[in-house]
Amino acid sequence: MTNIEKYTQAFIDAFSVDAEAVKTLKFQQIPAWDSVGHMGLIAQLEEQFGIMMEPDDIVDLSSYDKGKEILVSKYNVDFNA
Amino acid sequence: MLKNKNIILIGANGGMGRAMTRVFAQSGANIWANISHENSEYIEYAQKLSEDCGVWIKPLVFDITNFEAVKAAIMSIRSERLSVDGLVNNAGILREGMLQMISMAEARRVFEVNFFSPFYIMQLMSRLMIRQPQGASIVNISSRAGFDGVEGETIYGASKAALAAMSKSLAKELGRFKIRVNCIAPGVTETPLISGMSDEVLEQDKASTYLRRLGKAEDVANAAAFLLSDAAEYITGQVIRVDGGRN
Repeated sequence: MTNIEKYTQAFIDAFSVDAEAVKTLKFQQIPAWDSVGHMGLIAQLEEQFGIMMEPDDIVDLSSYDKGKEILVSKYNVDFNA
Repeated sequence: MLKNKNIILIGANGGMGRAMTRVFAQSGANIWANISHENSEYIEYAQKLSEDCGVWIKPLVFDITNFEAVKAAIMSIRSERLSVDGLVNNAGILREGMLQMISMAEARRVFEVNFFSPFYIMQLMSRLMIRQPQGASIVNISSRAGFDGVEGETIYGASKAALAAMSKSLAKELGRFKIRVNCIAPGVTETPLISGMSDEVLEQDKASTYLRRLGKAEDVANAAAFLLSDAAEYITGQVIRVDGGRN
């Protein structure tokens, strides 16, 4: 599984949405992505990428795209791998 | 009671920590035992216990006020890919003194160890525990000083009350993930922490309990083992006093 597939899968597992819908997803846009769902998503991402995120980054992760940006810039995740 | 459970014990090296190491191991738990500095005596103690009890005890040396070290330790635990069934925040420091005699630096240090470190540890650990379908149990060691008020323990008591308040809120936040959070509030307990207390004060304290004795470290360890166990699976958000009974 590539990193982008792992990343997308974390959203799918956390919110039970399909792969296409995930890509435009934003925090609180769907009932499943509330503050509790967010905790589940963070747990999934940390597990997938072997990282522990800082609280500021957890708060800033407000969309699918923003999450990619944070993982690349702060946690050295390579989405081309 | 704790057979096959994997427990993280923060603050394993003190009087209470050693009793917890022993009671948890004798109850069948495997333990990641945090100690603040290399201590060959504790490591031998843990080694002997693990052999006697047929469990593993892994000493983890890190300073809980060094958040980078805390994070590294928790990432190392996560890399073992074992379930983490329990966490006990037992590390704490006591600074006694009347209000005017406590420096701001000392006050901050007490809160750093007694409140902010458990806060950070739970912040990280809960994210591992959330992923476990069976949930987990967190036990925070508070103090009766946090509830009754004890002369000369203004900052210590405040830090322990803060820890209990945090535990109650976390119990509500984490309950949906089957993570239980409880507190134990010991009374005066026979550990090195009370070595500075005079005999007179200790006698008074003993006389003020219903059971007419000071607590033993094992009393607290047994309560912690119960709260970690499945026997306590419907108990969360509570502060259990282990203080011999008091008015």
